[in-house]
Amino acid sequence: MSETYTLPIGPLHVALEEPMYFDIKVEGETVQGVELAAGHVHRGMEALAMHRNYFQNITLTERVCSLCSNSHPATFCMAVENLAGIEVPMRAQYLRVIADEVKRIASHLFNVGIMAHLTGFDSLFMHAMEVRELMQDAKEGVYGNRMNLGQCTIGGTRTDIDADIARFLRGQLEALKPQLAELYGVFERDPLIRTRTRGIGLLSEQEAKLHAVVGPVARASGVAYDLRRKAPYAAYDELRFEVQSDTAGDVHSRALLRLREAVESISIVEQCLDQMPEGPVKSEGFVAVPAGESVARTEAPRGELIYYLRSDGSDTPQRLKWRVPTYMNWEALQVMMAGCQVADIPLIVNSIDPCISCTER
Amino acid sequence: MLPFLKIMVRNLLQGPSTDPFPFAPAKTPARFRGAAVHDSEKCILCGICRHVCAAGAIQLRAAEDGSGMQFMLWHNSCVYCGMCAHYCPTGALTMSDNWHLSHLGEDKYTFSEDSFVPFGECAQCGARIQPRPNVIVEKLGGRAPDQFLLCPKCKRESLVKHASDTNLSQFREKQ
Ligand code: SF4
Ligand code: SF4
Repeated sequence: MSETYTLPIGPLHVALEEPMYFDIKVEGETVQGVELAAGHVHRGMEALAMHRNYFQNITLTERVCSLCSNSHPATFCMAVENLAGIEVPMRAQYLRVIADEVKRIASHLFNVGIMAHLTGFDSLFMHAMEVRELMQDAKEGVYGNRMNLGQCTIGGTRTDIDADIARFLRGQLEALKPQLAELYGVFERDPLIRTRTRGIGLLSEQEAKLHAVVGPVARASGVAYDLRRKAPYAAYDELRFEVQSDTAGDVHSRALLRLREAVESISIVEQCLDQMPEGPVKSEGFVAVPAGESVARTEAPRGELIYYLRSDGSDTPQRLKWRVPTYMNWEALQVMMAGCQVADIPLIVNSIDPCISCTER
Repeated sequence: MLPFLKIMVRNLLQGPSTDPFPFAPAKTPARFRGAAVHDSEKCILCGICRHVCAAGAIQLRAAEDGSGMQFMLWHNSCVYCGMCAHYCPTGALTMSDNWHLSHLGEDKYTFSEDSFVPFGECAQCGARIQPRPNVIVEKLGGRAPDQFLLCPKCKRESLVKHASDTNLSQFREKQ
């Protein structure tokens, strides 16, 4: 005998440690339908941005979210630079790429670590976090903080990488390489991980396109959409890297794809350190931001991030709006969760790497 | 064989990888952004730090007797972004590697960088001007140190005089 009932999950959700409310229709152990209700931690940051000048907004946007805390100010600065016609020196463009990719590695490792935790494999979770520690130390040593790098300013970057720091960074990357390869092997072959994550949370290519999902979720479903390739910004058009993609579109493939992207990121950082030109790291002087509108896009660890800026010529933006990757991805949860088991819900939710603090800002 | 077993055994043999803090000092990199430090000897009260501070942690209060300004940086409001130190034109603000920020609730109103920056005096008429500390005169006012120490009014007058002198000498040369 089967019975349909509604299972409320949240707002304090097991997988997220961020508030999100799910109304899940369940028949027996099987999920029949999902409804999402967001808005529990709305912080009004877009309104705050209208009350702060352009410099203050760099710090404000950095605090939107800790894991992509470099993508936000970088995209904001790009939007301002586009509008004011500021040219960022080439060395600064490379430094921005380095900061972005270091953050990407740490973010992806965090996500796969949490996945291990949700399958109940806590020793693997702790190991993944320890591997990630190499990147955390790198951030602390290069930028002075383990999460908020504070690297971008309007017109350039704040810290330079000299020979000593470059050697340190290379050392961290060298130490990371074998660890990452080993971790990939575990995630790929471990029987526990495989049984819990393969064939779960399926999203077909067609559905991925229909929901316009972005980032690793799209790429694991066969949509090889990566802004670093589609619309290169900063120094990405001078760097060699492979856009990772997969066709399986399940929880397992998303985790593996993130690990492969982390490997690509290491190579990108190394290329940057090799071919970074000498020169200034910021443009000279202060430039007034004229009235007008601009848009900037980047590939954050979770996918495409869009900033829209409107200025009336004063020193505060008239409107600053951003669209974050999770916003596109979480609607697709309804497809991924349909027909899954109740026990798989946290794993599926985690596989889109949701960021509620970005989405509700 | 479970692929993770090898890693687990290795990790067990290696022992804990966390810092033994507070029983031993935690390593802190040189570039670490900790509590901001203000040096009143270098400050010219330009207010740029306050302008870029998103947290509103910096206040500049005029002293009642008009002799200077009180510089206040509240460590509790500060988010350690380092923008103030980055934009301070004189290097008066720096981010230290001090991350020992825990304090008692009763200390929350005294947990700040609190320093008094006296105003300067115009070298000519003695009027009150922004402070002109020696280090700064060397750094910023190197090109025309005399004018750097003047109030806006005396500076204007000296500039006009300088300009007319030059014009006059050029005029004489042409003749
Ligand atoms: S600390 Fe630096 S930025 Fe702030 S008022 Fe003094 S000189 Fe200006
Ligand atoms: S570090 Fe940032 S938050 Fe703190 S006082 Fe300076 S600008 Fe303000």
